Amino acid sequence: MPALLDTLRATVGAAHVLIGVELSPFVIEGRTPDAAVFPGTAEEVAAVVRAAAAAGAAIVPWGGGTAVAVGEPPPHAALVLGLRRLARLVEHEPGDLTATVEAGLTLAVFQDSLRARGQWLSLDPPDPQHATVGGIIAADASGPRRHLYGTVRDLLIGLTVVTAEGAIVRGGGKVVKNVAGYDLPKLFVGAWGTLGIVVEATFKLRPLPDEERLLAVRFDRLKDCGAAARSLLAGDLIPNAVDIVDPVAAAALGLGSAAALVVGFDGLREQVDWQVAELTALAGSLGGRDVATLPPATWPRLATIARDAIDSRAALMRFSVLPTLVAETMEQGAQAARQRGLASAWAAHAGVGVIEAALMAGRDAADVTAVLTEWRAMATTGGGHATLTWAPLAVKSQVPVWGDAGPAGRIMQAIKAQLDPHNVLNPGRFVAGI
Amino acid sequence: MVTLTPDRKSALRRELAAIVGPGGVLSEPDELLVYESDGLTLLRALADFVVFPTAAEHVADIVKLANRERLPFVARGAGTGLSGGCLPAEGGIVISMMRMNRVLEVDYDNQIAVVEPGLVNLHLSWAVGPRGFYYAPDPSSQQACTIGGNIANNSGGPHTLKYGVTVNHVLGLEVVMPEDGSIVWLGGRTRDPLGYDLPGLFVGSEGTFGIATKIVVRILRKPQAVKTVLAVFDQVEHASAAVSAIIARGLVPAAIEMIDHLTIQAVEDAFGCGYPRDAAAALLIEVDGLRAGLDAQADRIEAACRESGARDVRTAADEAERQLLWKGRKSAFGAYGRVSPAYMVMDGVIPRTKLPYVLGRVNEIVAAHGLRVGNVFHAGDGNLHPNILYDPRKPGEEARVVQAGAEIMKVCAEVGGSISGEHGIGLEKSDFMPFIFSAADLEFMQRLKTAFNPNGLCNPGKVFPTKKSCVEVGPVAYRPHTIEEQGLAQRF
Repeated sequence: MPALLDTLRATVGAAHVLIGVELSPFVIEGRTPDAAVFPGTAEEVAAVVRAAAAAGAAIVPWGGGTAVAVGEPPPHAALVLGLRRLARLVEHEPGDLTATVEAGLTLAVFQDSLRARGQWLSLDPPDPQHATVGGIIAADASGPRRHLYGTVRDLLIGLTVVTAEGAIVRGGGKVVKNVAGYDLPKLFVGAWGTLGIVVEATFKLRPLPDEERLLAVRFDRLKDCGAAARSLLAGDLIPNAVDIVDPVAAAALGLGSAAALVVGFDGLREQVDWQVAELTALAGSLGGRDVATLPPATWPRLATIARDAIDSRAALMRFSVLPTLVAETMEQGAQAARQRGLASAWAAHAGVGVIEAALMAGRDAADVTAVLTEWRAMATTGGGHATLTWAPLAVKSQVPVWGDAGPAGRIMQAIKAQLDPHNVLNPGRFVAGI
Repeated sequence: MVTLTPDRKSALRRELAAIVGPGGVLSEPDELLVYESDGLTLLRALADFVVFPTAAEHVADIVKLANRERLPFVARGAGTGLSGGCLPAEGGIVISMMRMNRVLEVDYDNQIAVVEPGLVNLHLSWAVGPRGFYYAPDPSSQQACTIGGNIANNSGGPHTLKYGVTVNHVLGLEVVMPEDGSIVWLGGRTRDPLGYDLPGLFVGSEGTFGIATKIVVRILRKPQAVKTVLAVFDQVEHASAAVSAIIARGLVPAAIEMIDHLTIQAVEDAFGCGYPRDAAAALLIEVDGLRAGLDAQADRIEAACRESGARDVRTAADEAERQLLWKGRKSAFGAYGRVSPAYMVMDGVIPRTKLPYVLGRVNEIVAAHGLRVGNVFHAGDGNLHPNILYDPRKPGEEARVVQAGAEIMKVCAEVGGSISGEHGIGLEKSDFMPFIFSAADLEFMQRLKTAFNPNGLCNPGKVFPTKKSCVEVGPVAYRPHTIEEQGLAQRF
């Protein structure tokens, strides 16, 4: 290790290599890395990777640190590779509706500069003040507006990565339509830093809408929210968000203690007005209690409202299910927790079938394990999957973080073996033992 | 490549017939001729067999057989591709997916359909149309091309400006893996696939990662209303400027298509679609979605076009006029037959703001080679389709077309664009890959291919450069393609 530290200091400058007590912000699951390194250029990132690989040290790429607890625990003797010094907006050409940024830029800063020129990146993942572009790509992070605008895979058109062997590789490009070569951007979205370290990314942008409005309709039962969402999606309206919150999450949003359908609209004022009127009529006919306009400040809370609704959490689980199964999954999941005396909170991007559930800590660890196992089975029975996105180590030792990838897991292992043959990048943290 | 003896060939024919039935194998040279090209007829190659599976298990058994015999294999849809991507570059087996053409399931509540790869793109929209749905990716060949072929090429179309390309509409695929014929699901029916985005990687892999046998696609609600605007320009530069002006006004229309003077002549000669013959260029712009606000959007578009110098801006009065305008756009390639014995379709992408410069360069390059060019393309996406007109009977003319095409691709690369927006690399452009990718980029992609297709039997010879041309600079000289040198293909 001392030899490696010397190499790293020589590469990035001593001020950008942290050791000892300075590492406290970089402890994951009680494991302290050997060092944290902050290169200032893509070339320095590549040099750090080569040095670490030569020394046999594992690398944990680090953006804003907002999602580092996701995944199996990191290995001992790991090097944190932080990207905070790579934080420039490289290029924004409004006429092309594209922008290129370095991976360590936070989403909030990125959005501020885009907004100043009438555009935005149509992604609204949690914690934009801290989440970085690279981290958002690695985690495939998303928020409520994904209903209309999709996720990272739909917006990322090009990137530069440092490979596990310290080469600098580019994929995709700077144009919005491109089928030359394999779609490397897709490879790194949701790969949790296991295949390469994103150092630069190019995105498709959208013009800012003239107007945006967020509304909530409260219903007596979750099931009614589900039915209303289904009617909404079968009609002519084009919402940009269709969320469902259970009574616990609704209370945290200040909506009282009834389940609610939360719907967003954007566009020209007359488009928004017409849709709000239509939603109001639809809600009335389906037993909705009232239609309330929510303040804009509610938007960023939607992505995390389930976790924020439970103070002493035992676990967070994220589900991907068919949209028609959302309300049912929420209801049954809450019921399964209740039967073991545990509270839970549920919120979903209902139109796309993505749910987050937070489980309250209980006295008996076995109850937590049983509930989480039951939750995962609910997801897989319906053809979906569930990921344990946060839990203490004790829980992770009982419940696998990732679902069973099945035969596709073999392909993922083959990709990992090809692209990171010495298992340097985030080893052992991902699905299928990757 | 493997050369089969007549005995070996007939033995293999019997084995293939045992898998797919006696009516499902072609092996006579005259039968195989039909499958020697795709839509890019410059390139030709003969397979040893063409087989027609009707089930995933058939495909798996064929792949296993091919592996045992070390025979290359390639999946083929309708053969409308434009880069030679489905050619049997080294002999072997063409696996035609055309008999696997069913819509297996439609789940309207979840807005997904499960289809077989041989299904014709437009037939899916027909199948779900009565319930008010459609399949969004709409390549101009959508009346013939298949969803499986669209998967291979990550096909686009005019409406991708707003709705995205094929990959944005695919949730999962059942795939026969190249090395062992195992049948594996990549992704499924839900979002955010577990683990790496295998469906995202598979789409656009040009048939080199395996053969899809079932595909889960999103279907969309038809928009409540549509408005189609035709803007007429006396100068191409003004039309180019109008594209950026529309975007700058905060609008993302469903489509912005440009049609130039020469193409208008061809289209009007062939079909009489109502484009003004004297225009230098026209933009066909479509907005769709809610009825509310549609007029306001059309007004903004009209204003942007007029400020950019449009001579005339009119809205299609009814559905019939709208269809006629679109017919002119979508049939433009066919219409070139009116003005030229042959043409070669180019496909490149540039940043939208570079349109005026690049269109000028395209004209210069083509003129320098003594040729003519018609442009009809997805201007909103910056996806160019220069169609170089030529006469194959004139000696040397075809070589000049190929040369001009390479130079145009260079220009696209130089302005930060790409050498293909939707037609793929295939055989045609594999040697152009170094225009935009470094040796390290290409090596990384090769490794990814190895993970899916370790012994390289699945659609060999595509996507990657065949020669050590990575360091080549300046215009690429015409030279015979590898398969021509092997006597497997000829240009005509």
